Amino acid sequence: MAAALARERRSVVVVDADLEGANLHTCVGVPNPRASLADFVAHREEDLAKLVVETPIPNLRLLAGTQGNLGSAQPGHFRRVRLLQELRRLRCEFVLLDLGAGTHPAVIDYFLAGDEGVLVLTPEPTSVENAYSFLRAAFYRRLRLTLLAGGARKLVAQAMDQRNERGIRTPLDLLREIQAVDPEEGQRFVASLREFRPRIVVNEVRTADEIKLGFAVKSVCQKYFGIEADYLGYVNHDEAARRSVLSRRPLVEIEPSSDAAVYIGRIARKLLAAAPPRRATAAPR
Amino acid sequence: MKPLPEQDHYEVLELVPGASAEEIERAYQVACSAYAEDSLATYSLFGEDDVRELRRRVEAAYRVLSDAVSRRDYDRALRGDEPEPPEIELALDPLLDARRGLEPRLETAPPPPPLEGFDEEAQDDATPFDGARLRRARLRRGFDLERIAGITKINPTYLRWIEEERFDDLPAAVYVRGFVTAYARCVGLEPVTAAAGYVQLMETARSAQRRGRR
Repeated sequence: MAAALARERRSVVVVDADLEGANLHTCVGVPNPRASLADFVAHREEDLAKLVVETPIPNLRLLAGTQGNLGSAQPGHFRRVRLLQELRRLRCEFVLLDLGAGTHPAVIDYFLAGDEGVLVLTPEPTSVENAYSFLRAAFYRRLRLTLLAGGARKLVAQAMDQRNERGIRTPLDLLREIQAVDPEEGQRFVASLREFRPRIVVNEVRTADEIKLGFAVKSVCQKYFGIEADYLGYVNHDEAARRSVLSRRPLVEIEPSSDAAVYIGRIARKLLAAAPPRRATAAPR
Repeated sequence: MKPLPEQDHYEVLELVPGASAEEIERAYQVACSAYAEDSLATYSLFGEDDVRELRRRVEAAYRVLSDAVSRRDYDRALRGDEPEPPEIELALDPLLDARRGLEPRLETAPPPPPLEGFDEEAQDDATPFDGARLRRARLRRGFDLERIAGITKINPTYLRWIEEERFDDLPAAVYVRGFVTAYARCVGLEPVTAAAGYVQLMETARSAQRRGRR
């Protein structure tokens, strides 16, 4: 996606924020980055711009993930806040964060900090389940950060526990509870919901029915979470993607006319239309 | 943001009150897919009873909104002009529907419109009419190959070979031109241009192969 944006003549910095499984440098043809986020996390370098390295792809630069520092890969809370502030200061049109899977608070924070959040899923039960787990975690974390009153925040904490005794099964149940406890916080809740618009990409599509999954997930998001998700697009299953990984170069560079590259290009253009430049974009895998 | 029991028919199908017939059709298809029995999208979130209730509401909404007279009455009721008509009790079982004299819906539905604006054919203008472009157009319509074969009466094996550009296996150009013309028409491409483009691609590949053999 970052390479596709770069091909649209946008200056892009792609950040490998998948700190426990950093490998993005390999995908963009930078086998041994001279600097990485590890230097920032370990306070060896405070200026994030100095850690950004060039890639062989025009307009695309890389902020590599940590390497050889698995014990303390994720920075602490305050360091994370500083990191996010520094990312916004980078001189480029787009900062794209590649996030790891899972619901670690750091991953959720990176996702929520972006002006746009893109969720990539595949048409498999495990992937869809993970996507909903991620959305649920992001949704409740955002709420907890939004709400001020102790009673309402406690309700959110209870809702996050799937075995909660108050019978809060869905965010809509939670809204009713909060409105009963504190109408003002209820309003804040609704406002927060309106601002939360995750974008969905369905990857590895093989059939026409699988394309429809994105629309179905969008509908479920509305019915279950009460949130308006956007279906950004789909990318079909394509052996060219595997060849791209094996050659350690982005697909849109080595096989721009392949099916998958065409679809990625479309998604990039749609994202460009939706997200003005000079914004950070988060994309969990 | 309302819970399902409080949503009107438009909200159930995620439409605005002025939605066109095409938008209603598309929304219904999406909802059918989202809340089908084996849907991936509801997996892990909704229980069986929840899904059954969602489908019942979707069917009820579609029945009213897809019929001009029912919809007009319903819109009046929504505006408060007159009491809301009673909700039609619907079965999800097509056989039961048939016994009640209700027409089957999916079988008679018109071909679906393109899935969404994000992948409009216009964006494909720069690419040749090759197998991949034909496949993209087909997927955009939500068709599988069997559906195309059913409409065009062309053997699905030939259709697959056309998409996979298996020029060695495909018959003479005159036949392929006919196949691609029918395929293109079915998926909303301009048929003459698509067929000419594809046959030219095939002839070029076949010529190159012949020269290679000499």
